[in-house]
Order: sequence, then C-alpha cells, then structure tokens
Amino acid sequence: MKRLTLFVLCAVAALAAWAQGETRETPLRPVLASYTLSVGSARVTDTYLTPLTYTGWHTGVGYTRMQASRWAPERWTAMLDTRLWVEKVENPPRTAAMWSAGIRAEWGMVRRWALPCGLTLAAGPALGIDAGAVYNARNGNNPVGARAAVTANLTGFASYALHIRRLPVTFIYRPSLPVIGTFFSPEYGELYYEIYLGNRRGLMHPAWWGSRFGLDNTLTADINLGTTSVRIGYEGRILSTKTNHIVTRNISHCLTIGVSGLWLPLSGRRTHARTINPCR
Amino acid sequence: MTRKILLLILSVATLLPLAGCHEVTEYADDPRGNFEALWEMLDKHYCFFDSKDIDWDEVHARYGALISPEMTREQLFDVCAAMLAELRDGHVNLSAAFNTSYYRAWWSDYPQNFSLRLIQESYFGFDYRQSSGMMYGMLTDNVGYIHIPSFSTPIGEGNLDYALHYLATASALVIDVRDNGGGDLTTVETVVSRFLTEPTLVGYISHKTGPGHGDFSEPYPIVYKPAAEGRVRWGKPVLVLANRSTFSAANNFVSIMRRLPLARVGGAVTGGGSGMPYSSELPCGWVVRFSACSMLDAAGESTEAGIPPTPGYEADMDPEAALHGHDTLLDTCVERLMADFQ
Repeated sequence: MKRLTLFVLCAVAALAAWAQGETRETPLRPVLASYTLSVGSARVTDTYLTPLTYTGWHTGVGYTRMQASRWAPERWTAMLDTRLWVEKVENPPRTAAMWSAGIRAEWGMVRRWALPCGLTLAAGPALGIDAGAVYNARNGNNPVGARAAVTANLTGFASYALHIRRLPVTFIYRPSLPVIGTFFSPEYGELYYEIYLGNRRGLMHPAWWGSRFGLDNTLTADINLGTTSVRIGYEGRILSTKTNHIVTRNISHCLTIGVSGLWLPLSGRRTHARTINPCR
Repeated sequence: MTRKILLLILSVATLLPLAGCHEVTEYADDPRGNFEALWEMLDKHYCFFDSKDIDWDEVHARYGALISPEMTREQLFDVCAAMLAELRDGHVNLSAAFNTSYYRAWWSDYPQNFSLRLIQESYFGFDYRQSSGMMYGMLTDNVGYIHIPSFSTPIGEGNLDYALHYLATASALVIDVRDNGGGDLTTVETVVSRFLTEPTLVGYISHKTGPGHGDFSEPYPIVYKPAAEGRVRWGKPVLVLANRSTFSAANNFVSIMRRLPLARVGGAVTGGGSGMPYSSELPCGWVVRFSACSMLDAAGESTEAGIPPTPGYEADMDPEAALHGHDTLLDTCVERLMADFQ
C-alpha cells in the first residue's frame, strides 16, 4: 500500500512538473487587428443594367484580424478580412447614377516563411463570401444587379519591418485571389420578376477565372506609435464576371487609413511566455 | 533578394488584372456610335422580332444610311425614333431631355370608346366612391361598377375589401379597365386573386437566353392563388370592359380574367403590350425602353396584338349617344351579361 501511495504521489508530481513546463512553453498568440476606412474611386459596369461604364466614388470600412494558429503557431496564421462598402457612380454624360453596396468576408489559414533577408512571406487557402447589389433607379423592370458568391481563394501576405528615422514601420502587402466557387447571375434577359414568381433555375454558376475573376490588393504601412499603430495604405479591388452574355465589373482604388495593433488577450498579459507575431 | 521578390509580387499583382477582366463593347458618343449602340441593343434584347416578322438588318441598312457625323442631337433623335417605330410596339421609347418617342398607332388609329366624365356625370351624378386609385359605385339594375384607371398605383387589400363589400348586394360586377395603360403585375395579381377559388394557371413568362432572335427560355408557368382567408372574394358574374388603350399590365389582367368561368370581356380589342419592358441607355445618356420578356396567356399564346372581346360582347361607344349621357359600350355589354346569366 505504501508503495502504491508513493507511486501515485510521484506520478502526480511528475505530471504537475510536466504541465508547468508546458504552460511555460505555450507561446502567446497576440492578435494583429486593424480597423480601416477607405476612400477612393470606383468604376462599375453591369451590362444587365446598362452597356455604359459608370464612374464615381467608393468608400468602405474594414476589419482585419491575424493571429498565429493554435495548433502550429510557428508556421501558420489565421486571417480574417471583412469589408463593407458603398459606391456612387455616374454614367459618362452625367445623366444617371447608380448605387453599389456590398459586403465581403474572407477567412483563411496561411503558411509563413521567414526569409533570411527579413521578409516574411505567407500563402494559403481561404473561404470567401461576397454579397451586394448595384441599383440603377432609372431602370423600370431591371433596376438591380444582385451579387453573391462563395469562393475558395488563394491568399497570403508579404511583410517587412524597418525603421524610418527611428520609427518602426511594418509594410504588409495582402493579395486575395478567388480561384473556384459559385456565383449568382440571372439569365441574359431574365427579369427579377420572373425569379420572384419562383423560376430559380440556372441562377448559380461555377466560378473560375474564365467566368469570375477577382483580385484584392492591399498594401499598408503600420507606423508604430507605442501600443497602437497608425495604418495607411492602398486598397485595390477588381472583380469581373462574365456569364449568360452578361459582363459585370467593379474596380476600385482607395486610400485607406485606420488603426492597428498587436493586442494580447487579458489572460496572457501576466505571463513571460514567448510572443509570436502573426505576420513575422 | 528582397527587391527581386517584391518586384515579382508587384508585377503579378499589376499584370493579373489586365489578363483577368472581361471585355465590354464600347461605343463612341457620336451619331454613328449612338445609332449602332441602339440598333445592337434592340438586336440582342428585343423579344418580338420573329413573331412580328421584322427584318432588323434591313431596318439597319435603311436608317443607318441617314446617319451623318454632322447631324444635330435632335436630328439623330428623330432618325432613332423612326427606327424604333418599325417595331410597332407601345413599350418601346427613346427618352432624351428634350423629347420622348412613342409609337402611338397602336391606339391612335382606333376609336377611344371611353369617357370617364360620362361615367362620373351620367351614371353616378358625381356621387361615387374613390379609394386606392379605384372609382366605384352601384349602377342602376343592381350592377356594381369599379373603374381601375391604372395598375401603377398599388391597390390595398383593405381597399378592395371595402369596395367589394360595398357592392356585395349587386347581382353582377363591372370592372372597367378602359384607358388603363398598365402598371405593376403584382397589383394585377392582387385584384385577380379576389375572383379565384383555387390556385390557377394564369399565363407564362419567357425571357431571352442569348443575343439571337430566337434564344428564349422555356415558358415558365405563372400561378395565382386566391385571396387569403378572411378577404372578400367575388363569386358572381363579372364583366371586364376594355378598349384599345387597355395596355400592358391591364392587357395582362384582361387575358387572365377572360378565362375565368364567370367573367366576360366586353368592348373592343385591347392594345396588347405583352412584352415586359427592359431599360437601358445610349452613350449620350438617352434612355431606351423596349419589350424584353414575352408574357403568354394561360393557353401559351401571345397577346401582343391585343385581346378580342368575348364573342357577342363586341361594342363601341356611340359618340352621339354619349352626348346624351349614354355609354353604349357599357350599356350593351351589361345588357348582354345580364341576359347570359339570367
């Protein structure tokens, strides 16, 4: 009995020691989050509504979140990118206007490679969801071009940190390229009234680069001012679709400004564990 | 090394979009560019070329020869409007800041067969009810009367309840859609549902599936349901009065009502307009409207050329009798209806 008690005590002590060691070695995974506002130009084409390309302004808000993954924090980063935007565009003779609005969310997991030159590259798969609409008030029975898509994307980033006059600055370039998926489009001359009546045949189409090409480019500079950084940069978005002889295009170029920060969860702030930056 | 990698990334990010964007045909904003844009828009989207036997290429050759770089905007408008008139379609318009073109021969070549003032004055003595765009009251001989001048104004379910309840003691009902130029099909559905007792096939819709003149989808059946439980429905004889200016959604209303067992259509052939209009524009900003989706009746037939009255219910309004306070179209058709359902 004494032997058994001794054995249990030793096992418990060993387990506790091991667990303590594990706790010490579990790295902290702070979240690199950003909140941005974008303002810029927009070009919208939707041949379902009009053969003309409309131009105007674009504005949007975005939230991004990057964090080293729980299961392989040294190599993988989870990324979330959400955006909400509104555009107002006019036809070339400035006699009609359209409103375009949409929401986009992308969640991905990317593999990081830290190159000896200080550059960190990352790439991986992501799931993208887009929804929105273009509204042309002047059209009677075809006033709206709806947008909806679910896609498997290729995403990633390239980041590089340097000092500009002692000010730490991190440049991050993030592209996102939908590869395959499915998207919504009415048929060539189909009115939404017919869809309202219940004819939902042939509305979803396979998305690939021949039918739906999209590319989001974001280049930002995070200027570190202590615990928080000021983020400025460029956001460019191109989305072009062609199906049922209908071509749509949304192109925007924006200046983006916002705040970002490498924020720790409250539970991690008292430990002395190693911290893993999700974009290094 | 870093520079090379960054250069590669930037090159890919710049060149990929150039390769990925799909092409859009662009037209110059000059007389020729606007003319070609208009012709091609109709060529690809208009839905009645084959049924009206229109040689659109020949039309292009004839009107294209009239286009010159020096012509003014108004001259260009006149040529384009004349070309659109070849379609013989009341749903085809060209709108500029200074004018809107209409093909008017679909109604101007026919007697009007309606005078609202005559009904208001001689049949109601200006004592009638008005709600939700409808005018209604009780005619002599215990016949109810509702005039619906347009389906553009939504007709509320409650308004219909009041009107049908008010006329509930009538032995028959006249729904007058003379001079009703159309509006929303959802409003048509609201009114028709009061005359249905079960889900009813009321027609089909077919859209273009491509730019070819014969590229159409399989006609999709349209089924209307009866008005919801608790709503006032009409189960007695109904007379729908129409004239040549009964057009578009009103034409659709007549095409549905004429197939109901207790309904008759009286008056003259309707104006047609069974193509659902679609809007677009030219490089100069002028708005174009044209028929893009064909609506068929419950038998799968087009009503673009108009709907004739029920046999025996053909009638015109005698202008001389109108001067003495008689709408002979209304009187003749009511008399026939009462005889039919005695």
